[in-house]
Amino acid sequence: MLAVVGYFEPWWIQILKAILIFAVGLQLVPVVLLAERKLLGRFQSRYGPNRVGPYGALQPLADILKLLTKEQSRPTTSVGLLFAIAPLISILTAVAAFAIIPFGDTQDIFGTKVGLYGIDVSIGPLYVFALGGIAFYGIMLGGWSSGSKYSFLGAMRGAAQLISYEVSQGLALVGVVITAQTLSLTGIVTAQKGMWYFIPQFFGFLVFLVAGFAETNRAPFDVTEADAELVGGYNTEYGGGGFASYYFAEYLNVLVVSGIVTTIFLGGWLMPFGIHPPGWVDPIVVLFKMSLITFLFIWIRATLPRLRYDQLMSFGWKVLLPLATVNTLVTAIVVVAVH
Amino acid sequence: MSSVLFFLAAIGVITGATGVVVLRNPFYSVLALVIHLVSLAVLFLLLRAEFVAAVQVVVYAGAVMVLYVFVVAYVGGESDSIGERLRSRGAVGSGLRLGGAILGGAVCVELLIALLGTGLEAINGYGAGYSPGPQAYGTPAYIGKLLLTRFLLAFEVASFLLLIAAVGGVVLARRRGGLEDEDERDLLTPLEMLRPRGTGTMAEGVGRRSP
Repeated sequence: MLAVVGYFEPWWIQILKAILIFAVGLQLVPVVLLAERKLLGRFQSRYGPNRVGPYGALQPLADILKLLTKEQSRPTTSVGLLFAIAPLISILTAVAAFAIIPFGDTQDIFGTKVGLYGIDVSIGPLYVFALGGIAFYGIMLGGWSSGSKYSFLGAMRGAAQLISYEVSQGLALVGVVITAQTLSLTGIVTAQKGMWYFIPQFFGFLVFLVAGFAETNRAPFDVTEADAELVGGYNTEYGGGGFASYYFAEYLNVLVVSGIVTTIFLGGWLMPFGIHPPGWVDPIVVLFKMSLITFLFIWIRATLPRLRYDQLMSFGWKVLLPLATVNTLVTAIVVVAVH
Repeated sequence: MSSVLFFLAAIGVITGATGVVVLRNPFYSVLALVIHLVSLAVLFLLLRAEFVAAVQVVVYAGAVMVLYVFVVAYVGGESDSIGERLRSRGAVGSGLRLGGAILGGAVCVELLIALLGTGLEAINGYGAGYSPGPQAYGTPAYIGKLLLTRFLLAFEVASFLLLIAAVGGVVLARRRGGLEDEDERDLLTPLEMLRPRGTGTMAEGVGRRSP
């Protein structure tokens, strides 16, 4: 009865996979952190961190050690319990969303069939959206319980932004689901054998990517933590461990969005030109594609200035949403006409 | 394992629902409602209704409750007036108490009719077995097929109703002067924009100080 969703694997494999996913996620975040700081440095004609370890490779480790050994403090106006819980919600939902990204097809490992993904649910992307909806409470409660105007304003902006962009993000995926005729993420990947979906679903791809930037609160949509006007947004009052948790969750969310884009639009573990490598290459292919999307995230952060708040809202509702709707409509008509 | 999960989720559902009614601070009431809805989604998951569980979280916890939180956090501790009116002596207080009792009784009778009429018979049975597959009962494909064939009329009527509600909301907001035009916004002086009533400090948000 333990197997509620992944019903065909033994229980010990599921526990092993859960540990593995957490470990992999935990290892990937410092890599992305270092990559971002190095690349931002290069984009701005400087070196980036280069003092700790060879080529500054141990910089994230030093950062994390510094954050975790700091004194824990909170403002007197804050609400204690919620203040402590809020970063946990953020980190929990980020790790749980990471579980759905498929790193490869079902493999035969020592005689046991193992799918190289946390879970393959029949609701697919809806799982990510559900966790995204809960992740909002991490930011919201963090900002509200801090007892500070800046945190509160940042959290409120996050709330409005999340509602606005989740709609377009969902609608952008409907086109893919109509084309693939399945919601399962592994099913969507195998449906891309002929052509990766970012060609027939190009507008869906664009809308999803832009909405993904907004959902992860990354530049140019990072008005929730706009440091010029809000100090640090929802995490202004957090220091040490709490801040580290928010930071971790943000970068893990970037990885999750990269993984979803890879899976849904870039063919997941499939190689171009019909090359069929052995099964152990699949995760490397997925990680390579994910790193390309993550590079795009960093590139855009270094390139574009932050949007004003009202521009952000009108862009979401007046440009992205109509575009996603028209994309869905056209896809549905084409699919019906072809069949 | 599943029975442990069931009891955890059931406790979450009941404490959440109780908390909505009992807690005095509206913000905590909303949070209790969120806990209730998420626990309910876990119960749906245990019944292998994955789609319903996900939609429950996406729509209720992820969208509707976000708006509730938004409103309550902005309005803050100003909304305790119903409780005071209920406890007040005189015609208003007693009328409210009587109305509340009648409504509560009506809901109780209705629930009893529903439970005793149909629900209890199913408790003794085991229900349909679970058969995994892309078209199985409760999967998105199955639900979509039902919505577009057997329940098409109800589906379309419900969507039309929601559309009317959305348009009505916009019309009402315009009539009360809630939505200003683009060019009117520039006429506000910085002094007027400084600090609207009730959207200020966190002490108000927590309910420790009313504006």
